[in-house]
Amino acid sequence: MSTIPQSRDREEAVALAPKPGLWTAVRELPSNVWSSIFRNPLPATDLERAQTSFTNFFLHLHPVKVNRNTLRPAYTLGLGLISLFLFLILVVTGVLLMFYYVPSTNQAYDRMLDLRGTVAFGIFLRNMHRWSAHGMVAMVFLHMCRVFLTGAYKKPREFNWVLGVVLLLVTLFLSFTGYLLPWDQLAFWAITVGTSIAGYAPLLGTQIKFLLLGDTTVGQEALLRFYVLHVAVLPAVLTLLVAIHFWRIRKDGGLSRPERKEAGEGVVKMRFEPQKRVFGLQGFVRGPFTKIGNVPDDSVYSWPNLLMAELFVFVLTVSIILVVSLAFNAPLEQPVNVMHPPNPAKAPWYFLGLQEMVSYSAFWGGIGVPTVLVLLLFLAPYIDRDPKGVGRWFARERLLANTLFVTLVVLNVIFIVIGTFFRGPNWAFVSPF
Amino acid sequence: MPLVVKGPDPKGPEEPVSRRRLLAWFSSVGLVGSAVLAVVSDLVFFKPRVTYSPSARFSIGKADDFPSGTRIARDVERVCIVREGNRMAAISTTCTHLGCIVSISDTGFACPCHGSRYDQDGNVTGGPAPKPLPWYKVTLAPNGEIEVDKNSPVEPGSYFTV
Repeated sequence: MSTIPQSRDREEAVALAPKPGLWTAVRELPSNVWSSIFRNPLPATDLERAQTSFTNFFLHLHPVKVNRNTLRPAYTLGLGLISLFLFLILVVTGVLLMFYYVPSTNQAYDRMLDLRGTVAFGIFLRNMHRWSAHGMVAMVFLHMCRVFLTGAYKKPREFNWVLGVVLLLVTLFLSFTGYLLPWDQLAFWAITVGTSIAGYAPLLGTQIKFLLLGDTTVGQEALLRFYVLHVAVLPAVLTLLVAIHFWRIRKDGGLSRPERKEAGEGVVKMRFEPQKRVFGLQGFVRGPFTKIGNVPDDSVYSWPNLLMAELFVFVLTVSIILVVSLAFNAPLEQPVNVMHPPNPAKAPWYFLGLQEMVSYSAFWGGIGVPTVLVLLLFLAPYIDRDPKGVGRWFARERLLANTLFVTLVVLNVIFIVIGTFFRGPNWAFVSPF
Repeated sequence: MPLVVKGPDPKGPEEPVSRRRLLAWFSSVGLVGSAVLAVVSDLVFFKPRVTYSPSARFSIGKADDFPSGTRIARDVERVCIVREGNRMAAISTTCTHLGCIVSISDTGFACPCHGSRYDQDGNVTGGPAPKPLPWYKVTLAPNGEIEVDKNSPVEPGSYFTV
């Protein structure tokens, strides 16, 4: 064969090439370093755009091409991305805060005061962490609403929906465990109230509460347990689940979108020619929606379209968090006084709907209704199997499912609003106006 | 002649379970069992055998320190010591609703957090509380002091006779 002489030629050529001098090496140092890191120049052709997604470590989780519908801001509202970016902000600010925090009942509150008084940017970091945490709970919830109202949980995305519900629960638990760490009155009594709700679970309620607190009441053991859960266990679990969540988006054929129009307009018939490798970098994973050989040509290259969209959402998210953190300080109340609960003692806002329901019936409000709701969420894609109306907001075919969902969401929001603004001392009804 | 494809007999071969299958089955049981054991031992690990909070069993002093008609709330231990005649009892002051500390009121106990109200014996008379306040065992320690054990709930209405 001809390959052997060729390679021999090359070896000879390498051997005969003049040895680059030291001056040349110095002169070319910057470009050599650059090209050793980034092997390809910025993509100029479609082939290079496709290769970018393959060769860059940070970009390889992107598809080569994405459907135009995926990039429509009005379809996704960017809610999943915003949740991710808030999580990234939380990891960065959280790790920074860990350098100054001590999970001890004697020191934790003083460390909060230190953040305010002595640590450079301390109060600003705490604000960013607090507001991002509230924002993440809200955004993950809204993301779930978006997915439901566009019917995006339908086959083949059922399992990714289930993962999403788990992610919502983990997010809530993460926020809840972080709530205790400042060790102020707000933290202590919110966790006392919150874990008491867990204690209402039948049979295992008191056991769960004891395992969570490491004691019969909220104290040093609870603070340490919540700290470890908050900074190590739950972020690791969340990261793993997020990775699977993203991976499944690709494996399930990209984001949901309306069924494509019948072959004809907008559809380009393609033939699969493996020898020429023309479509070897085909962006879509083989899946139920896009078949090689009959690809609707309404997709665009991820580089730069998807990346610019992501960058835009990232800058927007960070900007809003920065502005909010400059404008508003995270609350810090008096240090814990176990003898004197504030009146009323309130759980974190996202649990106030729960607390409001608990004030009517401890078991049904705290355990019964929430369990049924979470089960309904988990089972939604397995109960609602009708494939119609996927990829559009408020599709007419999904009127019943959407109405039920919106009703439950509105009810939950109403309970949260009542619990937050309309409940005063002794949980009596008060007017906030 | 119809084509007959020879395959494994659906009724099963003479030897119903091959060695390979049996080993696979045992291995699966072993692996699943180990996983279950791991989870159980995790839970055992997470359940503290000793808590660092003050003992659930504590002394409250001599019986003579509590004249008849006394109702004293001890916020640190979260119990209310009751004495009527020569009978004594300890009633929890942790609200059964959401764990706030109830305070002594004219009619019994009242919770500042969500408005639960209890009568003198801890029975719920209003508010969201789902259960009456538990009573704890009161005993006489060998040194002559009265002891309360919060790990031993007793029937409401069961007094210790001094």
